[in-house]
Amino acid sequence: MEIKTDDYRVWTEGSDIFFDGAMRLASSEAGAPITALATSVLASNPASITLNLKDLHFLNSSGINLLAKFTIEVRKHPDVRLVVRGTPDIPWQSKSLPNLKKLHPALVLLMN
Amino acid sequence: MTALFGTPDIAIGMKGSVSRVRLFDGPLDLSWRHCATTSDFIADLFALRFQSSRNDYMEVRHSIGYLVNELIENAVKFRAPGEIVVEASMDSECFKLKVSNDVLGEIASEFQSLLADITVGDPKDLLIQRIEANAANPDVGSSGLGLLTLMSDYGARLAWIFSPADENDRICLETYASIPISQTHN
Repeated sequence: MEIKTDDYRVWTEGSDIFFDGAMRLASSEAGAPITALATSVLASNPASITLNLKDLHFLNSSGINLLAKFTIEVRKHPDVRLVVRGTPDIPWQSKSLPNLKKLHPALVLLMN
Repeated sequence: MTALFGTPDIAIGMKGSVSRVRLFDGPLDLSWRHCATTSDFIADLFALRFQSSRNDYMEVRHSIGYLVNELIENAVKFRAPGEIVVEASMDSECFKLKVSNDVLGEIASEFQSLLADITVGDPKDLLIQRIEANAANPDVGSSGLGLLTLMSDYGARLAWIFSPADENDRICLETYASIPISQTHN
């Protein structure tokens, strides 16, 4: 499954969801296809889901809210492990990704 | 009547040399794309002096770009037809920004009641509470999350001044922001 625009790309490999580029969503509606993609991965009831953000250079607050909402969705499934892979080299990730762990303390945040 | 929300001392004007970008409504047909191009331009311009350190450059460029993008996005989203003026300046300690645009009276009232909620308390706690409330009830809307992210994750200090505009039922909105700029690497 893949969502591709001029600015960003989101795709799945098994239960890993990859994000690439610069995502500036105009509203939560604009993020609906991405939410649908992530929700379909959750619906397949995997043992774990990984959000790989290491190549996502920019994400505006609508996009951060989308990740936060999905984190809360996964929190409702205690049997599903949520892993978020980021990098300290991209400032928005070191600033804002720790908020996801506040929402879902069992989330595994890997920043390396 | 003029109303002020947020940190009063940053809303007293821009000192020193100010760079100004004016986004005209008609010829540009202002759209979402202008938020990214304008904020990237301003971030590039102000981060130049940090080029000697890659880490400082990346950090400063990103923080300025993020702040400017969020505030121009809000202006594009909520403005009444008309121009958006973006003014920026930087000293050794902080980057300052002022975004001016008109909004309709009804939008101004809604925005003021939102600001009354998100400017009192610890922004880190308010951000998490608002994300939870928004996830539990999508009708709440995601308004305010961008501003809270700026205050919580970027240490931004924000202020808003609402004053009567020339035209009826329009309010002139000035949004002021200041973020700390620290040079960590030599």
